[in-house]
Amino acid sequence: MLLTPQGASRSLAAVFTPIKSRGLVDEVCGRIEQAVETGLLTSGQRLPNETELAAALGVSAVTAREALAQLRTSGIIRTARGRNGGSFIADDVLPSRERALDQLRELTRLQISDLGLHYQAIAAACASVAARRSDAADMATLRSFIPTTEEDPLQWRLALSEFLLEVAAIARSARLARELIRLQADLGTLTLLPCADSGYRVRTIGLLEEVAAAVEAHQPAAAETAVKALVAATTDWLLTEQSQRY
Amino acid sequence: MSETTASPDSLTLDAAGELNAAITGIEGRLEVWASETGTALAALSAKITGTAVDKLIRPVVEELVRAPDGYVAGAGFLANAGLLGPDRSYIAWWQGEEMEHVDALANFSPNSISRYVKSEWFRVPVETGQAHVTGPYVDFLCTDEYVLTFTHPVFCRPDGPVVGIVGMDVTVQRLERGAMPGLRRIGERATLVNSDGRAIVSAAPDIAAGDLTAAEEGCSVYPAGRKCRIWSGATAL
Repeated sequence: MLLTPQGASRSLAAVFTPIKSRGLVDEVCGRIEQAVETGLLTSGQRLPNETELAAALGVSAVTAREALAQLRTSGIIRTARGRNGGSFIADDVLPSRERALDQLRELTRLQISDLGLHYQAIAAACASVAARRSDAADMATLRSFIPTTEEDPLQWRLALSEFLLEVAAIARSARLARELIRLQADLGTLTLLPCADSGYRVRTIGLLEEVAAAVEAHQPAAAETAVKALVAATTDWLLTEQSQRY
Repeated sequence: MSETTASPDSLTLDAAGELNAAITGIEGRLEVWASETGTALAALSAKITGTAVDKLIRPVVEELVRAPDGYVAGAGFLANAGLLGPDRSYIAWWQGEEMEHVDALANFSPNSISRYVKSEWFRVPVETGQAHVTGPYVDFLCTDEYVLTFTHPVFCRPDGPVVGIVGMDVTVQRLERGAMPGLRRIGERATLVNSDGRAIVSAAPDIAAGDLTAAEEGCSVYPAGRKCRIWSGATAL
C-alpha cells in the first residue's frame, strides 16, 4: 500500500541519502522506520541482509547489524530462521495513535508551542517566496496534495507534510526546504493525532485551499497569513489535547 | 535566433557561444553515455541485475563527478519498469567526489518504480523518448540543492522501449561560477533562463535564481543548449 497521494514521497527521499554524522545506528533505524511509514517498505517484505544494507547506506557491517538488532527490539522487523529466513518488516508497524500519544505525553507545552513558532516562521517564509515564484505547473502539483475528508489519518498526515514541502519546492529555496524537512522530523508522529479528528480535517482543508489560492494569485502576505493559520491549527489542537491530560 | 536592435559585438557573441558550448557539452556527453549504456545493456546476455548495472554505470559517474572544473555534481542511471522486474526500478546514481550512493535503500523495494514515475526528470524522457532538462528545482531526492537535471532516455534497440534513463545533476551554484563572467560581458542584466523564463543565473542584482523573468524589449536571445536561453537583458516579473 502506498501512503502518499502521489505515490512517491519526497519527504522520505532525504532519508536515503548517505549518512554523515549523528548516531549511525539510530540514523539507519530512523531511515528504515520512515521508509515503512511512507509505504516504500511494507509489512512482510524482506529486508536486505546486513552486508547489502551496509553497502547500500555506506555504513559498516557492524553498524548495519546493530541497526537490525535495534529494529528487532523495537518491533519494526522480525527475523525468521532457516532456508527462507531473513529479516522482514513486521506486521502493524505503521505509526499508531498509541505511539503518537506517547510522544505527546513526553512533550511539555513549552516545547509544543516553541516548535509551532519555529514551524510557522519557516512555513511563512516559504509561502511568501512561493507566492512570488509560482507558475501554473507548480499550482497543479500543490493542489494534488490537498486530501479529501475521507482519506484515513495516515494518508492525511502524509498529504499535509507533502503539501508544505511542495510550498517549499515552489519557493525554490534549498535552505528553507531542508529546514522544513528537519522540523517535520522533529514533529514526528504527533501530527497523526489531529488528522484523526474530522473537525480538524474540515478546518484544514479550508486553510490548504486558502494557501493555494494566495500562492497562485501571487499574494505573499495572504499566503503567509494562511500558512501560519494552518500551522497554528495543528499546534492549537495538540495543546488542547495535551491540557486535557492534567 | 536573435531579434536584435543593435548588432552584438564579437565579445558578446564569444561569451554567449562559450556558455552555449558548456551546456551543449553536458547534453552531448549525456547523449553519448545514453547510447553506450543502451549498447552495453543489450550486450548483457544473462538476466540484468543491479550489480551488473552498477558495474556499468559507476565508472562513468566517477569520471564525471571528479572531472576538474566539471559541472556534474551527481549522475546515474534509473531503470524503467520491466528492465529488472515488472514494478521494480533500479537506481544506480552517485553524487559528489566521495561517490555517495543515492537512494540505495529504494532498490530493495519491489514497488520502487512508484517513487520515480511522477518525477519530471524521469517521466518526460520515458514518455517522449527525448532528452529533457528539468529545473532549476530543489532536488529532494539527491542533493537537497537547487539543480538542473539533464536526462536522456536509454534504448537497447532503436525501435525498442525506453529501458531507463541516464542523467546528470548540475547545481545552479556551479553553473553560476561558470556562467557569470560571460553574462557580465553580455550585459548588466544578462540572464540565463530555462524554457519557462525562470532565471538560472543572472547578472542583474534584482533577479535571483528561481525568479520568473521576462526578456527586455529588443534584447538579444542566444541559445544555451537545447532548452535554455540567454537574454542579453531581463526584468523580474
